[in-house]
Amino acid sequence: MIWYLFVPLAPYLLWLLWAAAFHPLPLTYNWRSIWQRWAGTLSTVGAIAIVVMVFVVVLSMAQGVSKAYVRSGREDQVIIMRQNARVEMMSSVSLAQARLILTHPLIAHDEVGPLATEDIIVSKQVALADGSGAMSVTVRGTTPAGIRMRSQVRMLRGRWFNPGLSEAVVPQKMLNRYTGVEWGRSIDMAGRSWKVVGVFDGDGSVFDSEIWTEVGDLRQAFRRYGNDSSMAVRLRSAADVPAFVRDMEQDVRLKLEAKPEPAYFADLGDAGRPMQVLGQIITLILTVGAVFAAMNTMYATVAGRTPEIGTLRALGFRRREILASFQWEAILLTALGGLLGAGLSLLFNGIRTGTVNMNTWSDVSYAFAVTPDLMAQGVGFSILMGVAGGFLPAWRASRIPVTEAMRA
Amino acid sequence: MKFLTLVLRSLFRSKRRTFLTVLSLSVSVFLIALLQSLLGTMDSLSTSTASGTRFVVQDKASFTNVIPQAYANFLRQQPEVERFTSFQWFGGEYKDPKNFFANFGVDPEPYLQVYREEANLPSIPLDQVRDFLRDGNGCIVGRTLADKFGWKLGDVVPLKSPIFNLTLRLNIRIIFTGLRKSDEMFLAFNIKQLQEAVPWMKGRVGAFTVRAKNPADIPKLCERIDRHFANSAQETLSITENAFNLNMMKMLGDYSTMVHSISAAVLVAILIVTANTMAMAIRERTTQISTMRALGFRSGQILSLLMAEGLLLSLLGSALGIAMAMGVASAAAKVAGQILPWMADFIITPETLLLCVLITLALGLLSTFIPAYRASRRPITEGLRAL
Repeated sequence: MIWYLFVPLAPYLLWLLWAAAFHPLPLTYNWRSIWQRWAGTLSTVGAIAIVVMVFVVVLSMAQGVSKAYVRSGREDQVIIMRQNARVEMMSSVSLAQARLILTHPLIAHDEVGPLATEDIIVSKQVALADGSGAMSVTVRGTTPAGIRMRSQVRMLRGRWFNPGLSEAVVPQKMLNRYTGVEWGRSIDMAGRSWKVVGVFDGDGSVFDSEIWTEVGDLRQAFRRYGNDSSMAVRLRSAADVPAFVRDMEQDVRLKLEAKPEPAYFADLGDAGRPMQVLGQIITLILTVGAVFAAMNTMYATVAGRTPEIGTLRALGFRRREILASFQWEAILLTALGGLLGAGLSLLFNGIRTGTVNMNTWSDVSYAFAVTPDLMAQGVGFSILMGVAGGFLPAWRASRIPVTEAMRA
Repeated sequence: MKFLTLVLRSLFRSKRRTFLTVLSLSVSVFLIALLQSLLGTMDSLSTSTASGTRFVVQDKASFTNVIPQAYANFLRQQPEVERFTSFQWFGGEYKDPKNFFANFGVDPEPYLQVYREEANLPSIPLDQVRDFLRDGNGCIVGRTLADKFGWKLGDVVPLKSPIFNLTLRLNIRIIFTGLRKSDEMFLAFNIKQLQEAVPWMKGRVGAFTVRAKNPADIPKLCERIDRHFANSAQETLSITENAFNLNMMKMLGDYSTMVHSISAAVLVAILIVTANTMAMAIRERTTQISTMRALGFRSGQILSLLMAEGLLLSLLGSALGIAMAMGVASAAAKVAGQILPWMADFIITPETLLLCVLITLALGLLSTFIPAYRASRRPITEGLRAL
């Protein structure tokens, strides 16, 4: 979104580029000047670095949430729910419907059987490791086919659950945040004690926020005879998705809603929206402050170099060349801050934390995702700051009368 | 006091620089004030005047599970319990999912008693109360919510819930004016509507909200209730309403850590910017300061004059920032309060104001001390030579 801000500035920036390329005043001159007043330079660079860092880090959180959801879906898989149910937890699909869906010719098979799973979703309060309370965590009852269909999920230690034994497996990434769900411990739920027999890795998907168990056991424990939460199926190819979705919705025996997994998870990924908006508002406000700071520094630079400017003019440099030169100096200054800030934000990359998805009321764990795109946006912001903060001082520098400047 | 003119003169010696610094300071204080108040407002919501007398009995495994209504029999037997109501989140949508507001099923009569302070019960006309209790399809809504959608008494509100796959058509029987605007952003109706329409809700409720006669009894009451249901099919978790609300806020993620970190980062940034300005302002006046000292000003006096200048600078910036924040806060309360109920009570909290005063002092002193100290200690002859 930031790149749109460059559009109205494009002619000016192009002129600046042209000026830098064919300019008699080399950029090295500006580079050296910047370090002449190193205290002022460092303070401006530092302030801008902090603004850019805040921008990149806050947006990397929103990015992290949506990344977790994007990783969860497959193009050729479809999730089937009750009509109007936005999330699996609210949905219900009867066993009779499930049996009917299984017979659909478009469903893919592997060597074991059809790639279709009936899942039950419930939630469970789990104590946080830091002792500050408990969070609502999703518990998914699934089938062997369900495990095969989620290819990003890998068993790390232990084994998968067996039916009828009230066994559960937990994601590795949950273990840092929560306590009481470690390998070998038991989880109390619905009057039963569920033994944790394995630890898996969900490769950054939302399954990293879910406890998994056997669907039949969950069905009994929660007395959900005859209806599960949702069904997920893999089709022969992604091209079959529209036809399959139509069948699910139009078959009078089903009347269910089917959504391609990428679309379903993209909707849920909106959980990062508030953070994204907050981050953008904060950055906008901070940018204004940083522009003033940059302006201050540049005015001081211009004032301090008035005799120098006079000399340049006397030597025959033109006004617009002075303007371009000082404008470049401002951009160098702020871009330096932007690069530093973007670099510092990398320190946050990969830090894991969690938030609650307002659609499911369950905890989603995610990692800060500092992407090259976000970092580029941060540096882009700093360049805008340089243009905005440097223009007036540069304009002023170019307008100083030669005689006055020499006298100063 | 006689030096005030001198300090002011020096401060505005370079008007543009002072102006730019004040602006960049005020923007930062503005942001910090808003963010901190946002946290403060969220926190204050979790504690209301009467919430200390109430606690919630919910399913131990998850607050999204339902528990048997029959558990009410045990609650009724406890002598410390004053009144209690069933509670079930409905999640109904009015016309569009974007029109989000809280709506839930309750036991009408006890509900009004349990929340009598929030609903300002004595102010509700008796005929409205009577209509609400008589009409099985009746509902109670807050004034702010009613105004938002232009509802009047007797209007029919269709609410479609994706959780229950059910649409209820409710008649507005009470429009109340509560203690706080955020208390008015909800709708409550008779839970029987839900229990009759949804098979798995029959004889079940989401939770009970219990009002104790004496807040001091709540801990042992909670403990007794949870112990009683410990070996039943569904264990319960009883927590105070404040703890329940805090938990809901906490679930939003660690926003407070985020806000505090951002505030700290902004403070560091603004500190270096201000320090740079003060350093420039003082460096420019090296000769002037030396002249003053030659005229007989002591270095302590010089130091305090310069420090006063720095303080005044940060004071100007902070005052402007706080003023902007207050303006924006009241505007945000009006606009955003329509979407997010708790935003309706958004103000710059007293704690935030105190924090801003401290920030101002710290910024003024920290940014000025080093250059001012150096300037006041510099040998007079050396400073004059710069002439």
